[in-house]
Amino acid sequence: MPAPLLDKLRTIVGSGHVLGGVELSPYVVDGRTPEAAVFPGSVEEVAAVVSLAAEVAMPLFPWGGGTAAAVGVPPPRAGVVLGLSRLRAIVEHEPGDLTVTAQAGVVMRELQAALGARGQWLSLDPPDAERATLGGVLAANASGPRRHLYGTARDLLIGVTVVTADGSVVRGGGRVVKNVAGYDLPKLFIGSHGTLGVIVEATVKLRPRPDEERLVALPFERLKDAGVAVRAILASDLIPNAIDLVDAAAARALGVAAETAMLVVGFDGLPEQVDWQVGELASMMRPYGGHALMTLPPAAWPALARAAQDAFDVPAAVMTLSVLPSLVADTMEQGASSARQRGLSTAWSAHAGVGLVIGVVRADGERQDPAMLAAVLAEWRAGARAGGGHASIRWAPLAVKAALPVWDDAGPAGRIMQRIKAELDPQNLLNPGRFVAGI
Amino acid sequence: MVSMSPEQKSALRRELETIVGGGGVLSDPEELLVYESDGLTLFRALADFIVFPRSADEVAAVVKLAHRERLPFVARGAGTGLSGGCLPAEGGLVLSLMRMNRVLEVDYDNHIAVVEPGLVNLHLSWAVGPRGYYYAPDPSSQQACTIGGNIANNSGGPHTLKYGVTVNHVLGLEVVMPDGEIVWLGGRTRDALGYDLTGVFVGSEGTFGIATKIVVRIMRKPQAVKTVLAVFDRVEDASAAVSAIIARGLVPAAVEMIDQLTMQAVEDAFGCGYPRDAAAALLIELDGLAVGMDTQAARIVAACRDSGARDVRLAADEAERQLLWKGRKSAFGAYGRVSPAYMVMDGVIPRTRLPYVLGRVNEIVAAHGLRVGNVFHAGDGNLHPNILYDPRKPGEEARVVEAGAQIMKVCAEVGGSISGEHGIGLEKSDFMPFIFSPADLAFMHKVKIAFNPTGLCNPGKVFPTKKSCVETGPVAYRPHAIEAQGLAQRF
Repeated sequence: MPAPLLDKLRTIVGSGHVLGGVELSPYVVDGRTPEAAVFPGSVEEVAAVVSLAAEVAMPLFPWGGGTAAAVGVPPPRAGVVLGLSRLRAIVEHEPGDLTVTAQAGVVMRELQAALGARGQWLSLDPPDAERATLGGVLAANASGPRRHLYGTARDLLIGVTVVTADGSVVRGGGRVVKNVAGYDLPKLFIGSHGTLGVIVEATVKLRPRPDEERLVALPFERLKDAGVAVRAILASDLIPNAIDLVDAAAARALGVAAETAMLVVGFDGLPEQVDWQVGELASMMRPYGGHALMTLPPAAWPALARAAQDAFDVPAAVMTLSVLPSLVADTMEQGASSARQRGLSTAWSAHAGVGLVIGVVRADGERQDPAMLAAVLAEWRAGARAGGGHASIRWAPLAVKAALPVWDDAGPAGRIMQRIKAELDPQNLLNPGRFVAGI
Repeated sequence: MVSMSPEQKSALRRELETIVGGGGVLSDPEELLVYESDGLTLFRALADFIVFPRSADEVAAVVKLAHRERLPFVARGAGTGLSGGCLPAEGGLVLSLMRMNRVLEVDYDNHIAVVEPGLVNLHLSWAVGPRGYYYAPDPSSQQACTIGGNIANNSGGPHTLKYGVTVNHVLGLEVVMPDGEIVWLGGRTRDALGYDLTGVFVGSEGTFGIATKIVVRIMRKPQAVKTVLAVFDRVEDASAAVSAIIARGLVPAAVEMIDQLTMQAVEDAFGCGYPRDAAAALLIELDGLAVGMDTQAARIVAACRDSGARDVRLAADEAERQLLWKGRKSAFGAYGRVSPAYMVMDGVIPRTRLPYVLGRVNEIVAAHGLRVGNVFHAGDGNLHPNILYDPRKPGEEARVVEAGAQIMKVCAEVGGSISGEHGIGLEKSDFMPFIFSPADLAFMHKVKIAFNPTGLCNPGKVFPTKKSCVETGPVAYRPHAIEAQGLAQRF
C-alpha cells in the first residue's frame, strides 16, 4: 500500500487503529493477506474510510468477529479490512418496546448479557457468540437451533444503518416493530456478506426470556426413523423451539453417545408447558424407535449450534445444504454414503424442522485428494438441488474451492442480484468477487 | 391516460385479446371507472385497459407488450388497498390478477403452500383448515383482499404481534419482471441463496414486478385460544396496560385497542357487548398450548388490573369470543352510524409512546374541528386514527388531510413510521421525507432501478413525485355493502 494512503487512513482513525505487517495474520483469508486493517471509532470515521476507498478504488473487506470471514470465494483482489470492533455501543434499549438498537461491532454474548439483565433476549443463537458480532451475524445471516421457533435475522431485523459504497450514511427500516414505509432495505443486507454496504448499526426485535428452557435428546438406531419422527413432531400440537438431528459423530461433540442418530428437541415457556411437552414427546417418539429420552445440560445449546463442525479436530470441508424439512434425513444419509464410497468419513447436523443441514468431511492426513473432495461436495450439491434446495461450501481448502464453485448457482435470479450490486456498488469495492453470482 | 389514437387503441386491444382471450380486456370508459380507485377513494386515476390474464405466461406476454409500447402498467388484486398503490397513476394497463386465484399445491409435510396472487387471503386458510392448518397473516380485509396484494403491501393484521407480517411467511415468488422475463426469487426452502430478493420484493408496492406464484408457510392451528376484554375508564391506563403486559414477559397473539367513540358506534350497529361508558377497551388474545393457558391469562388479567382496568372479562366460549372479535372487525362499517365519512390513518410508534401520541392525536383532530375514533393494533404500536367528517361541508376534507399530515409528523417525531401496513402508494409519497433522508431515498431508488429500470412498472408510487394524472377530489369514502353488514373492514 502506498505510504500516503496509509497516512490518510491513520489520519482518519488514529494511527493506533491501523494494523500492518505481522499484525495482519488474523485477517488472512484463503491465503490472502490484506494490505492493512483499519478500525474506525465512529460511524463518521467508517464513512470517511469508505469515501477514501471509493476515491482511490481500493477494495474493502468489512469485518466483525471474523467468524464467517472464510465463507465465500477466495478474495480475488487485495484490499483493506474494515473492522467494526470499536463500534460496540448499545445505543438504545427500551424494554417496554421490545427492541434494541446497537452498533454493528457489539459481540453477541455481550449484547445478550445486557438484554438478559432486563429479562429479554435477541432470539438469534448463532455459533461462536463469544466472538460473532451483531453486524456480522446479520451480514452472514447466521442462525442457530432456536431458529426453529423464532426464525432468522429476516424475522427480527427492523432497521439498519449502513455506510454505502460512496461513503454516505443510509438508514432503512426504522425502530418500530411494524413498518412498511419504503422498501425493506434491512432484508437486502441480511446475508449480503458486506457486498452492498457496511452495516454500522441495527435495530432488532426482542423477546422476553422464557421462564424455563429444556433440551432433550433421543437416540435412534436408524436415521430414517428419526426423520419420520421429526415429521410427527411437526404435525403435532407441540411447539418446540428447536428440532435438531445429528449423526453419531456430531452427537459425540455434544457429549452424548448415539449409535447412528440423535434427535435433539428444545422447549421453552412456563415450567408446566415444558414438562407437558417433554412428556408428550417421550410417548410420541416410542413408536418410531426413540425410547431413551435424556435431558441435556444448558451447555449443549451452544454446542448444538456447531455440533458437526466440532466433530473432527480438523475438517477437510464444510458444506451448508438448504433442503425441504422432509428431506433432511435422506440428505444426511445419502451424503454420508457418497463420502463413504470414497473412503471418507463425515459428520452431520441439521436444524431439521427448517431444513438447514451441515455436512463435514473429516481431514485424513495427506492422502486427501482435492478433486475427490470436490466430487463428494458436488454430489451433495446435486442431491440438494434435486429436492429443490441448494448447497454452498462453507469452508474448504483453496484447492477444493478452485475445483468446485463455492456458491450454488442462483440461476436467473443471479442476474437481478448482479444488477443490485452494480447499482449500489458500481466500482465493485465492497468485498468484491466473493459472493453468489460472481458478485 | 396515455395519449393514443383510436386506431392505436383498437389495435392494442386486439393484441391484448389474443393474449388473454376475448373476455379478458376492458377499455370502455364506464368499465374502466370500476377500477379508478382502491379502498382509499380520495385518489382516482383511469387506465387505458384493464387486462385479466390467466397465467404467468399471459402476464409476461402483456408486460412484454407494455414494455414494447412503453406503456405504464400496474398489477391489481381485490382493490382493497388503502394508499392508492394499485392505481394507474399515469394511465396504461391495469393487470387484474383475479382470474389467477388457485391454490396450486399444499405440502403439509413441509408446511408450505403454493398459491396464485389472486387467491383471497382467507380462502387459503379455508383450503388448509380441514387438515388443522392456517395462513397466519390476517389483514382485517382478509375476506376480500388477495395474497398478491398482501405481497405488494407486506400486509399485517391483528395477529402479527406474535406471528409477524406477510414477509415472515413468504419463502419464494415466481415473478414477471418489468421486462417480461419470468424469474423465481427464493424458493421452497427456508434460506434463500444470495440476496433475499423475496424479502425485498415483498412490500415493494408493485414497483419491482408482478408476483405470479407465491410460496407461503402455513402453520398448525394452536391447540388453545383465550380472549380477554379489559375495560378502562382512562385511555392512558389502557395504553399503560399494553406496556405492562409486555413487561411481564408475555407476547399475546394480539392486543387491540378500541376507544369509546368506536365502541359506541359498534354497539349501535351490532351489539357485541362492549361497554358504552368506558374510555377504552383492550381486546387481548392468547394462543398456544392448552397447558399453561390459565396461568398466562391470569398474568394478563393482573397486568390489566394493576394498570387500572375497571373490568377484565374472559370470553366464556367460542361464541362470545367470535362476538368480541366481530365488534373489532366491524368497527369500520359501524362508523357509518356516527359520520357520513371518515379517513383511515395508519402510523406506527414505539409502544411506550402510546399515551403521549394518542393525546397528541386527539389535540390535533380537535384543533381542526373534527372527531376521531381509534381502533388499532396497540400491541405493535400500529395506530389507526379514523378522522370523521362530512364531505358535503366545504373545506372539511382539506382539514382532514391537514390533520392527517400532522399526525404522521408526530409519529415520525417519536421515532415511528408513517405506515405500518397500508403502504405509501400515492397517499403518503410526499410524507416519505418525514422519516427518510435524501440519501435514504436515493439508495431506495437505486434498488428500484435494479428491478425496474424503465420505471414503467407502477410509476408514481412510493417516492415523492408529482401526481400526474391522478385526481384527488371531494368524493368521500362510502362503506361498501359488505362493510356495512360488518362482514369485512378496511384493516
